[in-house]
Amino acid sequence: MKTHLASLDRRRFLHGSGVALALPLFESFSGFADAAEEPARKSRFACFYLPDGVPMPLAKDPAHKDWSWFPHGNGKKFTFTKCLEPLEPLRSEVTVLSGLSHPSVRSIHGHSNADQFLTGAATGPRGGYRNSISLDQEFAAHVGDQTRFSSLVLSTDGGTGTPRGAHTLSFNRGGRAIPAEHRPKQIFDMLFVKSDGDAARRLALSQSALDDLLADARSLRRTLSGRDQKTLDEYLQSVRDTEIKVEKAKRWMNIPLPKVDVDHLKLDITPEDPKVYLQTMFELIYLAFKTDSTRVATYQLGRENGVGISDYLARAVGFNLTHQLSHNTKNPGGWKNFGVYCRFISEELGRFISKLKTTPEPAGKGNMLDNTLVLFGSASSAFHLSRNYPLILAGGKNMGFKHGQYLNYAGDNPAGGPWNGGREPWQKEITHEDIPLSNLFVTMLQRLGVKTDRFSDSTGTLKAV
Amino acid sequence: MSRDRTKLHCRQVSWLIALLCAISAAATGQNNSPSGTKNAAKPAAANPAENVSAVPTLNELKVTGARRSSYRKRERKPVRTETPKPRLAEFRKGIKPVLKTACIRCHGPKKQEGNIRIDKLDPDLLNGDDVEWWLEIVAVLNNGEMPPADATKLSDRDRTRVIEWLSSEIQVASAVRRAKQGHSSFRRMTRYEYNHSLQDLLGLPYNFAKDLPPEATSEDGFQNSSENLQMSVIRFGAYRELSRKALMNATVRGKQPERIYWNISMKAAAAESLAKQEAQREKIRQKNKDNPEKLKRELQRQAARFRVRHNGPHYKDLSTGATSRVSWSYGGAKYAWKPSKARPKVPAASRHVVVIPARQKLIVELGNLIPDRGTLRVRVRASRVSVDKNKKRIPSLQLEFGWQASNDSAASVRISNRDIVVDAVPEKPKFYQWDVPLSEIYPRNLMRKTAKMGGLPSPSEYVKLVNSSASQGDIQIDHVEVITPIYENWPPDSHTRIFLDSSNKADEAVYAREVLSNFLSRAWRRHATDKEIDQKLKLFAKIRPQCDDFQEAMVEVLATVLSSPKFLYLVPPGRANQSGKSGNGNRLAAWELATRLSVFLWSSTPDDELLNLSAKGRLTDQDVLVSQVKRMLADPRSRRFSRHFVRQWLGMQLLDFLQVDRKAFRQFDPSLKEAMQEEPIAFFHEVLKHNRSVLDFIHADYTMTNERLARHYGLQDVYGNEFRRVKLDATHNRGGLLTQAGLLAMNSDGKDSHPLKRGIWMLESLLNDPPPPPPPAVPEIDLADPKIAKLTLKERIENHRNHAACMSCHAKIDPWGIAFENYDAIGRWRDQVKGKPVDASSLLFNRQKLDGMDGLKRYLLANRQDQFARAMVHKLTTYALGRPLTFGDRSGIDQITADLRKQGDGLATMVTLIVTSELFRSK
Repeated sequence: MKTHLASLDRRRFLHGSGVALALPLFESFSGFADAAEEPARKSRFACFYLPDGVPMPLAKDPAHKDWSWFPHGNGKKFTFTKCLEPLEPLRSEVTVLSGLSHPSVRSIHGHSNADQFLTGAATGPRGGYRNSISLDQEFAAHVGDQTRFSSLVLSTDGGTGTPRGAHTLSFNRGGRAIPAEHRPKQIFDMLFVKSDGDAARRLALSQSALDDLLADARSLRRTLSGRDQKTLDEYLQSVRDTEIKVEKAKRWMNIPLPKVDVDHLKLDITPEDPKVYLQTMFELIYLAFKTDSTRVATYQLGRENGVGISDYLARAVGFNLTHQLSHNTKNPGGWKNFGVYCRFISEELGRFISKLKTTPEPAGKGNMLDNTLVLFGSASSAFHLSRNYPLILAGGKNMGFKHGQYLNYAGDNPAGGPWNGGREPWQKEITHEDIPLSNLFVTMLQRLGVKTDRFSDSTGTLKAV
Repeated sequence: MSRDRTKLHCRQVSWLIALLCAISAAATGQNNSPSGTKNAAKPAAANPAENVSAVPTLNELKVTGARRSSYRKRERKPVRTETPKPRLAEFRKGIKPVLKTACIRCHGPKKQEGNIRIDKLDPDLLNGDDVEWWLEIVAVLNNGEMPPADATKLSDRDRTRVIEWLSSEIQVASAVRRAKQGHSSFRRMTRYEYNHSLQDLLGLPYNFAKDLPPEATSEDGFQNSSENLQMSVIRFGAYRELSRKALMNATVRGKQPERIYWNISMKAAAAESLAKQEAQREKIRQKNKDNPEKLKRELQRQAARFRVRHNGPHYKDLSTGATSRVSWSYGGAKYAWKPSKARPKVPAASRHVVVIPARQKLIVELGNLIPDRGTLRVRVRASRVSVDKNKKRIPSLQLEFGWQASNDSAASVRISNRDIVVDAVPEKPKFYQWDVPLSEIYPRNLMRKTAKMGGLPSPSEYVKLVNSSASQGDIQIDHVEVITPIYENWPPDSHTRIFLDSSNKADEAVYAREVLSNFLSRAWRRHATDKEIDQKLKLFAKIRPQCDDFQEAMVEVLATVLSSPKFLYLVPPGRANQSGKSGNGNRLAAWELATRLSVFLWSSTPDDELLNLSAKGRLTDQDVLVSQVKRMLADPRSRRFSRHFVRQWLGMQLLDFLQVDRKAFRQFDPSLKEAMQEEPIAFFHEVLKHNRSVLDFIHADYTMTNERLARHYGLQDVYGNEFRRVKLDATHNRGGLLTQAGLLAMNSDGKDSHPLKRGIWMLESLLNDPPPPPPPAVPEIDLADPKIAKLTLKERIENHRNHAACMSCHAKIDPWGIAFENYDAIGRWRDQVKGKPVDASSLLFNRQKLDGMDGLKRYLLANRQDQFARAMVHKLTTYALGRPLTFGDRSGIDQITADLRKQGDGLATMVTLIVTSELFRSK
């Protein structure tokens, strides 16, 4: 199917389906890296989002020992509970963090906040809505032009979802949601089977337009005084940098798509078969990394608050609806049930991390994990509470990340317990001041090679990781 | 050294502690100001003691103060063109001996501690190379770090003298350096200029710039300053994308989309609501039929849920008086109305209405069929519920658009530009109507195209009718009609403005030239040359084969016209355009003058009349220019000038970001903040419209207000949300900018008043007399010291003022701010603070007493008229030129000020004087 130019209108573009992957081919979407700068080492970033929080039984609760999500202990001396136990073999490759959250939503119901997990924006509880660029896209702006796809944006529910009910973790520089792909077959075809036939045409159009703008700038420049020419040179430079960007994108037109063995993949899978579906999505990200098709991936495991196909994920471990597990913790065995689900997710995350670890870095030294920074987390901990996010960092040792630790910034008695009616934890007074999560994001960006000292509402960095 | 206006309190306090001799040394304004502060002590008018029997009114002071104007008296102001000189004599006499005694032992020929030798430093800060060292010295003196305790003592008096001399020289030197650099007006458009230009060019009232990165503010407070309007690859990418998007929004394809109609009677809404309640009751009966106890309880509970609250929205049968509750929930989109393909007949007015009391809302759910583009028309048949005795309370309606997709994913935003005043009496309801461009509504419900109605997340959307009356005033509505998408013409005007009607449409090459030359000349604000048109035609020819049709290719080409520097950059000196006709090579050509004028007064591109006058070369005629200014100020687009200038001049971003302590000030609601944001702009526009004296900004016996703000001010008998002129008298303690609640609130800290911020703001904005920038290191307030932490802000200021290094500056700043003390953190009048009477009297550095706000105004009107007038001319000219002013501009500014004062101080007069000045008309 030929895409008309009209479909370049972003509004329509976004409403189309399966377009999330075409980003690098349309330069106005993908942001811009400093074209002259080629990082010596390949660095990758993947983020996984878990909706609806994690089990937070209080210390006095018998379930606390086994089914509290956060480990017991601190620093190097900590023990995983059954929720994270599957990561024990990877202990030296992961860091668990507590006591971090985004300040702008700390008093807002947790279900509204997946939208800003990677952005930190003040997205508010209702009324008007503004978001800002997400961490992955900031990084993609830096490395996106070195791979065929600037980023891979995935979710189980697909599309953009609604404001405060996002189905995507990724937002562009204008704060607009980037639609996520959820169908394994489409993802695979995009990565390894079909070239986007329209891309060459769009790039050619772009190049003609840029040539013309350069001519405009040059003819204007001739009429200017020396000082004003300097002002206009910023414009000229911007056009030239964009041209380089288009050149880089054009390169991919002539490079054949990588060949990948598909025998082990079930590409027609849906979340109705949650376990295989999750494994397939993780595997696709792994393959995209391995073939260097992209260095940036986000995957939202599920939308907040149930009501979507992702609510079926808990069927992988014998429950009916995932979101309900977080509400039923006051029932007998409630913590355990919720924890069993989290344990399942930990197994799949662990499988992905292990795979990266056992795969030698293609055309490089060491293994893939050491060059891949993995972030796993959720925008709430205790029932609907947008504080003390459950967070795991893994990999990225070649970027300077140190692991094998539990950085407990939450203190001894974080908010938790089952909800028995009345005011919910997120409606109560603040008793513990969290560290802004954006501080960690700044450190992550810096180690990923982005020269910056701030991200969103950051107030500093977090160097302990 | 940009001043971060948003970081306040401690930083500013510590900053202020280091402020030094601001008033006399401000190099850009006051050295040469004819309104000598030396005269200040003399005037009888400002000294109540001498004039007990006949204290003049503020209005009288405007007249008597004007008589003191040296601008009015002088035939011709002496023009000072030479740059300032370093005050070396003063250095030799007063400073050098002090430094010698205090510093030379360690920083002289014998020892050079810290690698600095003080007797070898060049005291000429304007031309010498040792400025960095002097900055260091002023910092250590200021901090009290030098001389060390075990060395020679330095008396407070000497310390102060050195600091004052140095600070003054630093200030002058920095101004000289800027002046040497010079400034050009050549710059790209600001975000808002880009937006308005596209609006006027395409004829669409959309916000085209919302995806552009925000703008920085320059040192002198203006966003349109050529100094900081930069271009980056990200911004360039955004322009390209926005240009294409704007053109896609302006043009259409294919057949006109069919309209759909919603016709909703409140009778049907009430009946359906009752039916839903009955269905629920039936369900309860069925479920509990074996348990009469529970049945009774459940039915009671259900009845309570649906009991009418008369302060909430409710249905009412006017014939019987029967009422029922309005209910709504998002689940299953059960409340969504279905549209029809044909417009149903609107029934006669019904006695079944919905009553919406003040500040209450009614949701009208419309489903998932509202399109992306075109106009959404919402019509309501409404009236007041009752008419009050003096018929002044007239309620108003706002329109919101929203949706709820799931429990925690919802949004609702106001989409009506202005409130509709519901003036109809109950007997004669009227239709009221909003037209809203759908493409401007954000955020929409993004599930509307993928999810099914009734499913979760819900794809349905709604409009919300909001009774926005500030006081009581119920509204009743019997009928709501929604029609969409509406296009008045097809193709719409925005399309045919670009794709002109032409007999040559069939011949692509000829038609392309027609479309391009028409569009280019309007977009680039001048005649496009043949060469330029040919270049774009070449691009068209090149990409045409890659596109499906003419329109597709042309939109691509036009997008480059709008991303071109010839559109994005303003007023190039135009060396190539210079025709031999103009005798003065330094003057702007007519096209450039038209652009500078339209950007100044409309924040936008010139209209056809300006372009035609430019084409004929007539715009450069003085008379034509004056009449064009008059026409442009009378045009509604001049509201943009008032808005953008006032917001930047007064630094009103502070108000946007103001966080008021809601516990301390419960009444600070969004409608009050909105009114606070509007008042200075409306007031300025009123002064402009009637060419009132600029002295009205210091004091006026009227203001512009709506009901909400009037209530805040304690003004009676102001009803409705629209702004209108309201008379003030002395008992109101208001008038002019100094007493406007928003400006007072933004210069507070959200909890209490902030004399320092207010003082600085007044010096900076109104007198253009900003304190010098802080030395690199200033003493911090030690908040860890429990004694200090306990003090009130004012006491802290006083505590620090007693430090020798801080005193001189504080004496010059604090008194101004203390005069504002009768106004609290949200700008309300107060006589008491924490049970103690307000002390708003202070002594200026020249021993002049200021007695509260009245005293401050008296002093300014009696003694500072010239300074204020010159400051306004300075600010407005800076804005008009879009560049910082330099020493070289001083004579021009003085000339405009003199003419202004002679011609009666009118604001419109000032605008005309600026436009016709050499400054404005030169490159």
